[in-house]
Order: sequence, then structure tokens, then C-alpha cells
Amino acid sequence: MSEAVALAHEARIRPIRIRLAITLAGFGALTVATCLLAPLVGSTHISLARAFDRSIPFADNVDAQIFWVARLPRVLSGALVGAALATAGVVFQALLRNPLATPFTLGVSAGASLGAMLVIILGISFSAGPFSAVPLASFAGAAVATGIVYWLATPYRRAMSTTVLLLAGVTLNSFFSALILFVQYVADFSQAYRAARWLMGDLDVGSFEPIVAAVPAIVLAFAVFALLPAALNVLSLGPDAAATRGVDVVRSQRLAFFSASLATSAAVSLAGPIGFVGIVVPHLVRLMVGVDHRIVLPASALFGAAFLVACDLAARTLLAPVEIPVGVVTALIGGPFFLWLLVRRS
Amino acid sequence: MAARSKKLVAAAVLVVACVVASAAAQQRRIVSLVPALTEMLFAIGAGPQVVGVGSFDKFPPEVETLPKVGALLDPDTERILSLRPTLVLTYGSQTDLHKQFERAGIKAYIYRHGGLDTIFQTLRDLGDATGQRRQADDLVRDMQKRLDDVRTRVRGRPRPRVLLVIGRQPKTLREIYASGGVGFLHEILEIAGGRNVFADAARESVQPSHETLIARAPDVIVELQAEGMFKSDDLAAEKAVWSTLTSMPAVRNKQVHELVGQYLVVPGPRLAQAADTLARTLHPEAFR
Amino acid sequence: MTLSADRLSYSYSRVRLKPDTTTEFTLRDVSVRIAPGSLTGLLGPNGCGKTTLLKLLAGVLKPELGSVRLGDREIRTLSPRALAQQIAVVPQETHPAFDFTVMEMVLMGRHPHLGAFQLEGPADIAIAREAMTATGITHLAGRAYMTLSGGEKQRVVIASALAQQPKVLLLDEPTASLDLGYQLEIASLLKQLNRERGVTMVLATHDLNLAASVCDTLVLVREGRVLMQGAAREVLTSSTVEQLYGVIADVSFHERAGHLTVVPVRRQ
Repeated sequence: MSEAVALAHEARIRPIRIRLAITLAGFGALTVATCLLAPLVGSTHISLARAFDRSIPFADNVDAQIFWVARLPRVLSGALVGAALATAGVVFQALLRNPLATPFTLGVSAGASLGAMLVIILGISFSAGPFSAVPLASFAGAAVATGIVYWLATPYRRAMSTTVLLLAGVTLNSFFSALILFVQYVADFSQAYRAARWLMGDLDVGSFEPIVAAVPAIVLAFAVFALLPAALNVLSLGPDAAATRGVDVVRSQRLAFFSASLATSAAVSLAGPIGFVGIVVPHLVRLMVGVDHRIVLPASALFGAAFLVACDLAARTLLAPVEIPVGVVTALIGGPFFLWLLVRRS
Repeated sequence: MAARSKKLVAAAVLVVACVVASAAAQQRRIVSLVPALTEMLFAIGAGPQVVGVGSFDKFPPEVETLPKVGALLDPDTERILSLRPTLVLTYGSQTDLHKQFERAGIKAYIYRHGGLDTIFQTLRDLGDATGQRRQADDLVRDMQKRLDDVRTRVRGRPRPRVLLVIGRQPKTLREIYASGGVGFLHEILEIAGGRNVFADAARESVQPSHETLIARAPDVIVELQAEGMFKSDDLAAEKAVWSTLTSMPAVRNKQVHELVGQYLVVPGPRLAQAADTLARTLHPEAFR
Repeated sequence: MTLSADRLSYSYSRVRLKPDTTTEFTLRDVSVRIAPGSLTGLLGPNGCGKTTLLKLLAGVLKPELGSVRLGDREIRTLSPRALAQQIAVVPQETHPAFDFTVMEMVLMGRHPHLGAFQLEGPADIAIAREAMTATGITHLAGRAYMTLSGGEKQRVVIASALAQQPKVLLLDEPTASLDLGYQLEIASLLKQLNRERGVTMVLATHDLNLAASVCDTLVLVREGRVLMQGAAREVLTSSTVEQLYGVIADVSFHERAGHLTVVPVRRQ
């Protein structure tokens, strides 16, 4: 096994331009193929010919409705959420200098869950265009958590200490999780059940509106991500080493922290907290392409999209007509994956 | 003279029996954690015996004045014990509670969730436990009669395929819960002249995906909720949420109904009324 | 270009410094001049402030009082990128959080010379290879950094710093965690690079013999102040060693080694 690892390292001497091109082409093809195939498969048998038959009015065309209203938004949100969580995972791992960090380590997801929970249990509801109560509250909760962690972890004028950041995030995580439990406890039974269901994650959005609401935030986060990969490489050597290689450490840390939190917040608001994507995908990608963030980041976005779409496909077809929550599928894959990693290392 | 003394003895025995019976009745102190069972107790005339109710019990109005002792997740054992009950009505999963009451020498009745037969049997059991068996039997008979009335009303009419929604996220079509093919909601739907689109699901509730909903194509959608969940002016907005699923016959024929009322969701004495309401919704012409 | 520090004061506490206050200063009113092309040692016991001084010279820390200049310009006016094109730092230990190869580590030295979305081109790769040749690690290019020995790791980090093509190279305790063999190796490498490439070097160290063998200029630092600075032969004497370390030592020129050596005798 270590010989294979050594060979993999040797392969990384090739110039990065070539490696990047090959990687993007390969993963891109995988993602496109997955996203094209996924809407064709489901728990109900549909006739594609009918689904695309323009002569039948849309309102009468059940096959078309299943394809365009039920499946396509679901696949799209899976791709978006998968890409967002995977890349957020990569960035947080670089920021915290720890490959075991996840997008949920610093409490963003706990804040999002608390926001969603409060709205569900207080029965608050409204909708304004593509925005509705639970996603907005969840996004707001995530923003509050992000703000608190940032404030706790940023000393005056100096770079963030990763230790303090981690401590602040973990503390906030515990605190918000305790609040979530309490809120569930005082809720009545059906509300508590609905809240618990939300925590399992759900990509079945049923229309393009929730996606439209989440896209601006995710696109903004991705735009910032595009600036970061070279800096992330150097940052992972440590803040002092990074500064002496020309990285504006304070600025890079801030950009990394806020963009990754933004991507996570948007993803969780759209589909609830879906775990393991943000750690399994970066690890798998690194096993395949090495650790250079300039390759790992875009590759993770693509592979994350394909991964989550595939997991959701399994979730909705394996035990059809019963659906497994997608968070359960990712956990069932994630758990054994980490066991295997541990066994492999020892 | 012997006849007269016999009558005297009989009368004395009767008086003593009444005193004993009323004393026994006065000694019955019941605490109920389950809303359905609370309703049942009052419906069979055992209301005076109830000394404490669960936090989510809302009917009948008399329960407002009674002490609240918690519910499924948070039963307040101390509070319950302080009311010195002789009988506590609990959920099946509250095994710790059962053990505690056993040690304290208090009888615990375990609520069984089920369909109409289970509900009727529960009424009879409660009748036995409270000395109101006769009233319980009367109530069961009355409920069965009313259900038969409903069956008769809708007999022979075409039975639409109905999606019975028991929960979802407000204002959006997410996290939809519907009644499966098991349980009292399914049964009263069938009595009310409807066919459950999820009759084949062997569970009380299902959480269908949009794909499944579109594929099942219900003719009618009925959304049930207890009071206090939505404000009444929002019902129109909630109805409108379904309009994106244009291929559904229910949406095309404007057969989306919002029904509000606690009696609709509690598997208790008012379920005949619920069946009646459902029938009026599905077959309004039968009630003119 | 001359790297100089002018009346630097620094404190690790958050208190705003005034010239007369008696707060905990790590460095107090320190001025040094690093001549171009020299191999200067910042010498002193642990905790004397030499690492802090090095970090201030590198621009990693910002002084409370005083300034650091490269040539005429204060380095605080330079962006991190511009500064990194002139000054490179080799820290005491480098622990990357991810499993980079040696080639990737060395190429990171090119970072300050690349634009925002620019990837390394053939020119950058050539510079990196040349740095690896100079440090004798070409055969390690495809290896994982984490699997190397201490000496090899240090050479990789030095190669990475060289790939930055700096005018000044700052090193923090470059041999502290190394065996004797590797110590000699690194020491001779530094001297060779300084001689052949004319790279100005500044070493922070507490190792008297390393300083004696490698440096031509010494800055003696004690308790946050400069005790003395000048040519190594003049500055490094038994008397100054005693003042710095509280140790009686014998300082003499060793014929066979070709440089000064310090032999500690006993504590004061």
C-alpha cells in the first residue's frame, strides 16, 4: 500500500497545469454524467418520451411533472448542496490546518438548525417570493453563529489562532446543540417530530424557488473560493510561514472563514444539515489528486455535487417507495469510510 | 312482620352498598397524560374522577382548570404523586413511569395506539376502571351508530382517491406527512366515502416525496390540523401552495380542503364527528 | 540592500507602549544593521528576544515603536507579497497540515512571484529545480515531505526559501533539532550559498559554535537589548560569553576547524 502511495506522490511532479486540466476534465465529466442520469431514475417509472412530449399540455403530463417538478429540482439542489458542502469542507480544513475539520465543526450548522427549529416550533410562517420562513431563519441562525465565532477568535490586529478558532467553534456547537435539545423538549410532539425530521436533511425541494433563494449566496461564496487556493496551500504551513511567503494572513483567513461559512449556511438553509459530505469528499479527492488546493478545491466542488446526487439517488430508490433520509445515506457511507482510513493508516 | 324486616334489611344493604360505592367512586383519583384518553374519561362521565391532565390536553373546557402534569417527554412525577392518584393513564413508552407507579402502589393504564376497534376497546376498559362501564358502552354504541349514519349517507357514491395530509411545513410543500393505510384516520376516511391514496402503506403515517405525490395523483386533498397551527386567514395561502402540482386532479378540480379542529386529529370520542366532517367535505351533495 | 532595524521595541502583551513605561518588553530599543552579503548571527540565550527580532526583521511581527527598513523603505509600507519577494524566512520547524511532496513545498517559494490566478510555469519550475540542486535534494523531489529525516526536511525548507529568490534569508534556529552530522551539513550549506549566491543571511541561534563557525558578523542579544554587534572575531570573546550566558568559557581559534570555537568550562 505504501508503494502505491509513493507512486502517487511521484506522479505529482508533473506540472500543475496539466494535472489541473486532466482533473477538471475527468471530474467534470463524472458530474455532468451523474446529473444527467439522476433525473431519469426514480421510484416511479416514467416514460421519457412522454416527459419531453411538447404536444401534451404540461398540466396534464404526469411524466413531465415528475421529471421537471419533482426530480430535476431535487437533482439540482443535490448538486448545489454537495458542491457547497464539499468545498466548504476543504476551506475549513485548510483554515483550521486539520484534515478532520468539517463544515459543521465551527457551529455554523448548529446555528442554522437552531434558527430553523425555533421557527418550526413557534409556528412562524411566511413567504416572500422565493424566500420562506424556515430557510431564512436557518440562514440567520448560521449568520449569528458565524459572527460569534469570528468575534471570539479574532484578536486585535493579529491573525486568528487556529486553536482558539477551533475552541470557539466547538464551544458554540455544544451550546447551540443544547439549546436545540431544549427547544425540542418543550415543543409538542408533532412539532418536535417535524424538527427532528428537518435535522436529517431533505433535498426534495419540489420547485426551483428554494434553489433560486440559495444560489446568490453560494455563487458569492464560490467566487471568493476562487481567490483562495494558492493562499490555502501556503496557509497550511502555518500563519508565520504563510506571511513570509507573501500571503496576507489576516485577509486570507477572513475570506476563507466567511466564504466557507456562507456556503455552509446556504447549503444547510436549503436542505438541512447533511453530514459527511464535507469530509468524505475532500478526503477522497485528496487520495485521488494530491493535496494541492488549486486542484483539490475545484475537484471537490465537482465530486461533491456528483457524490450527493448519487447518495440522494440511492436514498430515494433503494427501498422505494420508502425514502431513506439522505443524511442517513451519507452517514452510512461516511462511517465505514473513516474506519477504513483508520485501518489503512495502522 | 318477617316480610317487613326483610325489606328493612334489603334497604339497609342497599344504603350501605350505595355508601360504599360512592366512597369507592370518591376514592378514584385519575391522572391522564394522554389527550385522547382525557377526552374519553369526560365523555363517559368520569370527569369528576379526574384530578390531573397532560400539558397538551385541550378538551373538554373543564380541563383548563385542572392541574397540568406534563406529557410524553416530560411527565412531572412529583406533581403526579402529589395529586395522590389511584390510576394514571400513560403512554406505552413511559416504562420508567410504570416502574415508579408500581413501587408506589398506583395502577398505571397503558395507552394503546390503534384503529377504531382499539379505540372502542379502550373506552370499555376505561369504563371498567372508572365504574362507568354502562356509560362507556352507551357511548360506543352511539359512536358506531353515527358512523353507520355516515356510511349510509355516502353509500353508492363514487369514492374519490384522497390524500389526507396530517402535517407539513407551513407555506411550502416540504416535509409533507400523510395518513397511511393503518390507523383511525385511515378508517374514518374510508367510512366517509374516500379511498386513501396510501392505503397500501402498512403504517400510520408516510412522508411522500414530490415524485410519489405526483404519481399517486389524488382526486382530493384534505389537510387536517388542530387549532392554533395556522391563523385562519392563512388557509387560502396554504391551499394555494399546492397549485404548483398542476397535473394533480385535486389541484385541477380545485378539490384542496383545509379542515381545522382538534377533534379531527384526536383518536377519541369525537371521531364520529370527524368522520361526519370528512364526509361532508368529500360528498357535500349527500348532505343537502 | 541593507536590512536595518531602528530603535525597535516590541511587547507580546496588548498594552499600548509608551517609551517610559515599565511593561514587559520582549525587545527594548534595538537597532541593528545587516550589511548586504553578510552572514550575521543573532546570538543569545533562550528568551533573550532574538526570535522576536528575527520576526520583526521579517515583517511577521509589527513593532510597537521603531521601524525596520530595507534599503530606504520601511518594510511596513510594502505589501506582504512585495516583502516576500525580497525577504525569505526559514522557520525552526515546518509542519504542513497536509501531505505535500517535496516539489510542492519548494514550489510554494514561488508564491510571491505569481499573480492571483497564475499557475507555475516552466521558468518557476526551473528556479525550483535549481534551488533543489543547490541544497542537494533533487533526488527527493517526488517524496512526501513528512517521510523525510530532520536534515532533509530543513534542506527542503531552505530550498523553498531559495526559490523565493530573496535578497535576504532569515533563519530561526536552523540546526536546533538536528543531529551533529546534519548540523555540519546545514552549516556548510549556508556558508556555501552565502558565498556563491551573495544572499544576505541572518541566523537566530543560541548555539555558540554554530554562530562561531558560520557567521562573519554577530549581534549579541541579552534580555531584549543589544549587548554588542560587529565582526564575529571581535565580538565573540570569553568576556562577552560570560555576560550573555553567565558561563565561564574558553573562546579560541581552532586551526583544524578553521573558525572560532567556544568551550564552556563552568557556570559563573
